[in-house]
Amino acid sequence: MKIFYHIGRYLLLMQRVIISKPEKHSIYFKQIIREIDNLGVSSIGITAIISIFMGAVITIQTAYGIDNPFVPKYLIGVAARDSMVLEFSSTILSLILAGKVGSNIASEIGTMRVSEQIDALEIMGVNSASYLIMPKIIASVFFNPFLVIMSMSIGIFGGYLAGIFTGVVSPEDYIVGLQYSFRPYYLIYAMIKAVIFAFIIASVSSYHGYYTKGGALEVGKSSTNAVVYSSVLILLFNMILTQLLLV
Amino acid sequence: MIKLRNVYKSFGDKEVLKNISANFEQGKTNLIIGQSGSGKTVLLKSIVGLHEITKGEIIYDDVVFSQLNLKNKKKIRTEIGMVFQGGALFDSLNVEENVRYPLEMFTNMSANEKKNRVDFCLDRVNIINANKLFPSEISGGMQKRVSIARAIALNPKYLFCDEPNSGLDPKTAMVIDNLIKEITREFNITTLINTHDMNSVMEIGEKIYYFHKGEKWWVGTKEEIFNTNNKELNDFVFASELFKKIKEKNK
Repeated sequence: MKIFYHIGRYLLLMQRVIISKPEKHSIYFKQIIREIDNLGVSSIGITAIISIFMGAVITIQTAYGIDNPFVPKYLIGVAARDSMVLEFSSTILSLILAGKVGSNIASEIGTMRVSEQIDALEIMGVNSASYLIMPKIIASVFFNPFLVIMSMSIGIFGGYLAGIFTGVVSPEDYIVGLQYSFRPYYLIYAMIKAVIFAFIIASVSSYHGYYTKGGALEVGKSSTNAVVYSSVLILLFNMILTQLLLV
Repeated sequence: MIKLRNVYKSFGDKEVLKNISANFEQGKTNLIIGQSGSGKTVLLKSIVGLHEITKGEIIYDDVVFSQLNLKNKKKIRTEIGMVFQGGALFDSLNVEENVRYPLEMFTNMSANEKKNRVDFCLDRVNIINANKLFPSEISGGMQKRVSIARAIALNPKYLFCDEPNSGLDPKTAMVIDNLIKEITREFNITTLINTHDMNSVMEIGEKIYYFHKGEKWWVGTKEEIFNTNNKELNDFVFASELFKKIKEKNK
């Protein structure tokens, strides 16, 4: 039954975050820019590293899986493209960001809670939920699609490089594969997932941070819970969205 | 003036505050004292609205604060300054930005006016050459002083201090106590200080409320403390040898 308590409290928190009017728009705007830098721009490095290696590994694995000479080599490019666009760059990257960004958000807000900084905001007359959480949600929802597009591009490029250096697929075959039977709708599907997963990461992690009680130990627990619950929800919504948008 | 009328506060089945009525006077340092767990912090947080009271009324200058909706409570809150036990300075902002924060959020002052106000507040609490330092880079005493500067930035009508000198050495604690007292007189504000430090009581206590097990047990001045026969208060105040000797000397 505790799950209903958490769902109810989460929805009430989101109501405070989304419905309330900001005290001063200029300050909220500055906060959004700060969060874009803090949550988005700082994730570019890890996104690039993971994506390039994943693209390379997908290409090599697919190539070694195809030992039938009648299967055209360009299918390696198709597999790399579809794997990156449909699943890796939107879902797996979001799971990785749930770990990085989610724990960051939960520990930041959790520390503010236990050190009474949130109480200080409330006493000043600031809607602390809106002030702390809304900029994080907007920044994540705005920037996550950029990270996903970047991940797709770098991943596919990683596959291309892997093909050249290992010789499992020629550049020509790989590029033919990338263009073969391409459906632009896949990109829309990936963007929809990126936006929804970004909202899940930012809001669920903020929820866990905002309701932290106790001290340093509890901040750590909130951080862990933020990652676990965000990841589970991403996987659940991945299935729901795939059923709704692709099938 | 802040008035409490038959205030009760419970957490689940546990009643933490029982039938509290009090008048906290303007221009005076009102001290709330009591042992740990006597309900002091809950009372302070209830008065500022961080906890919803179960029953009773909290009145700020004839406005029944406890019955206001969130929007109207916010208006009163802009007239409240609070100094937290740990300072509660914003980690991501430096000293100057911490003090400027309420000005940025709630006023339309020009950049120059804000700078002057920040300088005035920091000067008032004797913070010099620390404007660009972050809270983690300054001492506990300085953090408390910056916290006071932030609390007075908007010229509050009410100042709340939750154990303002906890964790400080006696000399710095006295500096903080006297600063709060001076500011209270200077700006004629209603100040409530929550403490269990008897040095503070003797130094700045003008009206003292002793709390015991969630009830208002005794009210009086610091001079009256020496003559009271209230057993619980005597046990609390004269727990140390030093204060026992002071009491004997006063007799």
